[in-house]
Amino acid sequence: MIETGIPKLDGYLHGGVPEGRSLVYYTYPGVAGDVFGMQTICHATSNGRLGVYVASSTDPQMIRDQFSEFGWATENYDGRFIVVDAFSWLIGADSQERYVVSDPEDINSLTQCIKKVMEEMSEPGIIVFESLSTIMDLCGESETLDALEEWSQYAMLYDHALVYNFTAWPYSEETLLHVKENVCNSVISVGGITGDVVFGQYFGVLKVDWADLARKSTLFKVLKPGGIRAYIPKILVTGPFDAGKSTFVHALSNRAVSVDRLGTTIALDHGHVDRKGFAADIFGTPGQERFDPIVKLLSGEAMGIFLLLDSTNTADFERGKRMLEITKSFGLPVVIVANKQDLAEALTPEEIRRELDMPADVRIMPAVAATGEGVFEAFETLVERVMEVD
Amino acid sequence: MAYNLGIPKLDDLIGEIRGGTNIMMIGPPMSGKEDLINIIAYRGLADRDAAVIVSTREPGNNVLEWFERRNLNIAMDRIGIVDCVTRTLGFAAPDTENIKMASSPVDLTGIGVKISQFFEHFWMEMQLRETRLCINSLSTILMYSNLQTVFRFLHVFTGRIKAANALGVYVIEEGMHDAQTIVTLKQLFDGMIEIRGGEDGYQIRVVGLTPKPTPWFDYEINGVDVVLRG
Repeated sequence: MIETGIPKLDGYLHGGVPEGRSLVYYTYPGVAGDVFGMQTICHATSNGRLGVYVASSTDPQMIRDQFSEFGWATENYDGRFIVVDAFSWLIGADSQERYVVSDPEDINSLTQCIKKVMEEMSEPGIIVFESLSTIMDLCGESETLDALEEWSQYAMLYDHALVYNFTAWPYSEETLLHVKENVCNSVISVGGITGDVVFGQYFGVLKVDWADLARKSTLFKVLKPGGIRAYIPKILVTGPFDAGKSTFVHALSNRAVSVDRLGTTIALDHGHVDRKGFAADIFGTPGQERFDPIVKLLSGEAMGIFLLLDSTNTADFERGKRMLEITKSFGLPVVIVANKQDLAEALTPEEIRRELDMPADVRIMPAVAATGEGVFEAFETLVERVMEVD
Repeated sequence: MAYNLGIPKLDDLIGEIRGGTNIMMIGPPMSGKEDLINIIAYRGLADRDAAVIVSTREPGNNVLEWFERRNLNIAMDRIGIVDCVTRTLGFAAPDTENIKMASSPVDLTGIGVKISQFFEHFWMEMQLRETRLCINSLSTILMYSNLQTVFRFLHVFTGRIKAANALGVYVIEEGMHDAQTIVTLKQLFDGMIEIRGGEDGYQIRVVGLTPKPTPWFDYEINGVDVVLRG
């Protein structure tokens, strides 16, 4: 199995792409889908696999630079990263690559080169196509679709995995349907949430023939460096005054800022978390009742909620429950963080559950925000719950 | 939402241009189309619009220098340039706040992604509701990709302009393409800025945005002022 390097997607695919199978990232125009293929090949080659990248719209040296921008240094892959140059000819430039397509506008020329690479790869590896749509534009739709079948058969013979980046420009219905249904063993939809502009991006599995289909979508963000991160645009951190919300936001975040007065949050805390393939923006609310209108404002469109409680201050627990009501969090994933567990009089999470009369399926997690203890465990638990939502 | 070109006499004749309008600017080489499209972008910036300029002919820095050379104090947080040139020249330039790099004019996917990123940034983060997209030029893109491919690209992005109530202006070099290419592309646009050679310099008119084409005017470009005569 060859992992895609995108943890959530590998989860959907039950580990990645099996050898000899193919996958297409079916991307809507304007969405950064090409990074999926880049991340997949870099993850594979950095894990010792042989990787071939078929460049059809970028100069090979520029490709290496682009990978570097994401923090993937292809020169460190000990010759396991190979570029097939199907671009230089188009701009009349010389190529320094070992594999060069003599005429990228001729599908036979491309096929010949790809077959040669597959034959000469010393072990099963992964072949990623920078842009299947560019190949289709240059060589013709039907010619390319025919060639894909031939490449797939050849890849199966040598146990290579094939991965395509495809931009779904308005090709003919037949072509788009063919790419979606017949060309590959798996289709990953990479789309944009559109309104007046594209304001969010998601991926989901449309088809997979080696595992059960998980009909879920995951929002993502592209980070430089970093690559694709499953992304949660808004996680709310709320709770009574002095429960440790700001400390929690700062402990969790790679970078954070608070709007406070003498240490008390009077508007919000904001932090950004990038951890284990996931990214999230965290918004902390004030805790004092006089700021409740701000809590209401901040809670709009939250995808998950942390309720921070001071484990030693039972008097504020009711206020905590009230704050959950203010955020209108019904139905949203909630994790209660039992903070200040290092203090002698702290209640255990189970004692807090009884005090709050919370059902067993609400997770209450121990933490000490001041030292960071338990903070990331709470984050991972909430992220898991947010991602489970269809 | 409404726009103007920033060319006084023509603006008076055509009135306000409604949001979601796509305009082709076509004219002979050396007739000042690059100045005109930059002026249209600049007039937007001066009106507190955002501007996205796709440059297939000049590196992104040169586009910014165009504004600098004219001592124009443009709001840098409202201008975005998609540079399709620098990386084809072999320079490993990273993206900056104002300039995002596309791999090459062949890389329509990449160009599209960068345009969308600027639109998202201006709309979502800066809450700007009026954006001008200036593509200079479609002719270069057509040199690397076939008509059908470019048509598909434009089909998507002229649609996005409509959805975002933005203004799109697209430069085409007259004489570089056959009549069928121009006719095919025309379908995607709401109007045209036409330029032709006159007895003493060049003439300009607007077609399609009013019931009748405007008259032809001799014009002269002084800095960012387009002076029409006649």
